[in-house]
Amino acid sequence: MLGPDIQWYVILSALLFSTGALGVMLRRSPLIILLSVEIMLNSANLLLIAFSRLHGSEDGQIFAISVMAVAASEVVVGLGLIVALGRRHVDLDVDRLRTLRG
Amino acid sequence: MVDTASWVCLLLPLAAALAITLAGTRPSRRVTAYVSTVTTMGAFVAAVIAFIGLLGESPDERVNTTTSWTWLSAGPYHFGFTLLTDQLSIVMMLIVTGVGSLIVAYSVGYMDREDEERRYFAYMSLFVFSMLLLVQSGNLLLLLAGWGMVGLSSYLLIGYYQERPSAIAAAKKAFVMNAFGDATMALALFLLIQHTGQLDYAGVFAAAPQSGAVANLIALGLLGGAVAKSAQVPLQTWLPDAMEGPTPVSALIHAATMVTAGVYLIVRCHTLFENAYVVQDLAAALGAVTLLMAGLIALVQTDIKRVIAYSTMSQIGYMFVGAGLGGYSNAMFHLMTHAFFKALLFLATGLAIHAVVGEQDIRKLAGVGKLMPFTKIVFLIGSLALVGIPPFAGFFSKDPILGEALARGWFGITIFVVGVVGAFLTGLYAFRLYFIVFTGEPSAFAREHHHAHHGKEGPFSMMWTVGTLAALSCVGGLLQFTPFWDPLTHWLDPIDPALAEATGWEELLASLLAVGLGLAGMFVAWSIYAAKRRRAPKPVTLFEKKFYWDEVYDLVWYRGAEVVTRALYAFVERPLIAGSMSAVSQAFGLGSRELSTAQNGLVRSYALALASGIAVLTVVFLAAR
Repeated sequence: MLGPDIQWYVILSALLFSTGALGVMLRRSPLIILLSVEIMLNSANLLLIAFSRLHGSEDGQIFAISVMAVAASEVVVGLGLIVALGRRHVDLDVDRLRTLRG
Repeated sequence: MVDTASWVCLLLPLAAALAITLAGTRPSRRVTAYVSTVTTMGAFVAAVIAFIGLLGESPDERVNTTTSWTWLSAGPYHFGFTLLTDQLSIVMMLIVTGVGSLIVAYSVGYMDREDEERRYFAYMSLFVFSMLLLVQSGNLLLLLAGWGMVGLSSYLLIGYYQERPSAIAAAKKAFVMNAFGDATMALALFLLIQHTGQLDYAGVFAAAPQSGAVANLIALGLLGGAVAKSAQVPLQTWLPDAMEGPTPVSALIHAATMVTAGVYLIVRCHTLFENAYVVQDLAAALGAVTLLMAGLIALVQTDIKRVIAYSTMSQIGYMFVGAGLGGYSNAMFHLMTHAFFKALLFLATGLAIHAVVGEQDIRKLAGVGKLMPFTKIVFLIGSLALVGIPPFAGFFSKDPILGEALARGWFGITIFVVGVVGAFLTGLYAFRLYFIVFTGEPSAFAREHHHAHHGKEGPFSMMWTVGTLAALSCVGGLLQFTPFWDPLTHWLDPIDPALAEATGWEELLASLLAVGLGLAGMFVAWSIYAAKRRRAPKPVTLFEKKFYWDEVYDLVWYRGAEVVTRALYAFVERPLIAGSMSAVSQAFGLGSRELSTAQNGLVRSYALALASGIAVLTVVFLAAR
């Protein structure tokens, strides 16, 4: 098998996932949060493809493609929301967008 | 032939009731009245045909049962929709349809121009059907169905004047008291099913327990139903109030037919009562108490219909005495003659009430007889028959009951004494009524409000029916004159053999005493109310208050229930039920309010919670492995 061993992929994926999760939790701009979510999704994609290659089956690749499709639609909705907020001159800070509270 | 005729007899009135109800307001009022009358008469013709058919059969085989379909099936028990036509039920069928068609025909004139004549006639037909179902049923279950349905029609007809609160109250009272009897009867039927596994008359009578507690309980339950339906002590208070209904209803339901159903039940189920002789004696004792008490109350009532209602109670008391002492055919004979003369009394009263714009107070009606000679004569005939003066009907039927009592030992003699005292009271109250209302100068009220119907005392439909009943009250008693000829006793003998035969001397003694005391009562009434030789004694409060039965029931049941309900409300419902409900709602409210603060709208804190949750789960799963 070409390329590095499977554990390198796992480590890279874990690093990417942590980066994304920290981004979601620490940053305030909705745009960055959306990006971080995309990073988390893609870390999962990386694992799917790596294991797919390891096991020699295409299931993981198909899953990865589905995840990408979902991620793309999510970005459409998310970016649409952010643009709508920006147009209304709302402060783009998730900590201040907290009208949906109990 | 007999079977077909009995089905026709049963279903004709039902068809009339359905047709009148479904036709709504399309047919004119007169048409509905005639539909009801003609179908009831048709039922009478069918009953006569069935009777002729029975005559053609040999005496031991006069039991015709016919089942149309299995009405109820439950496990191993099957109850058919069975009609039984035998010697006893044919007598009842003839009385119900015969007297019934006369009274329905009378109603054509009496109810003329009432607002809701159609409803009245639909109810009347329904009643005739229910009563026929009761007497024609071939098993006790169907009898119970008829029993309940006559109670329903009685309720509907007592409350016919639905704009009058007193009528509605009376209807409810009658229904509730009858429902009590229905319940005890249903309990008796449950016991019978448990112990015999069936409810067909013949099977039940053969298999029922011969003695012991169960036999007593069965008879007691049936007696409860009979006592409630026939307005005997202690369930008698509904009958006088039932006089709120139209007068023909009082004549048909509360004098001639429905209230005598209790007597029919005892006679029909005499085997079950003979198995429990204590209960049968109790029936006779209750009848004796009732006939005495009702006679005393009737002395002081001022409402003409209530006086007759109390006399009905009293006469049914005689029938209970007859049936309770085992003289079944005597009781049935008195039931028959009573149907004639009591219907006559009510219908004659109806003529007077009709002519004096619905007034029922005897002080206001006083002297109306002078304006209405025909009514006066027929009322006199009815009263003489009621008191039992020969040759009128009551004499032939009441005296054998008393004679039979003499043949039954010390218990019978006690009841005999009560019975002859009752005969005295009957003479007194019947002729108090007659002398006050029908003799003497008309009161100012009667003169002012009396209006003749085209120069006659009433419309033709009312006159000919009253005339027929008067004729029957004169000659109806001649059907049987114990001990000389007794076709009715002979006719009923195969199914209802008497427990004891009175000797000729006992019959004679009973007749002499009863007639003598009846005449004495009439004489006292004459000297007080007609000749005015003596001043009328002050009415006894105890009698005016009807022996305080209503008050006692009010105290025990109504007040008792009220106290219990109030206590339950104060000590159970408010603290426990309502309290626990509000505590639960408060707890949920508080909890949700606390929980809602967790939803603070900070997306990043949600993400943190999510991440830490996953972290914890991961650790847990790793540790668990």
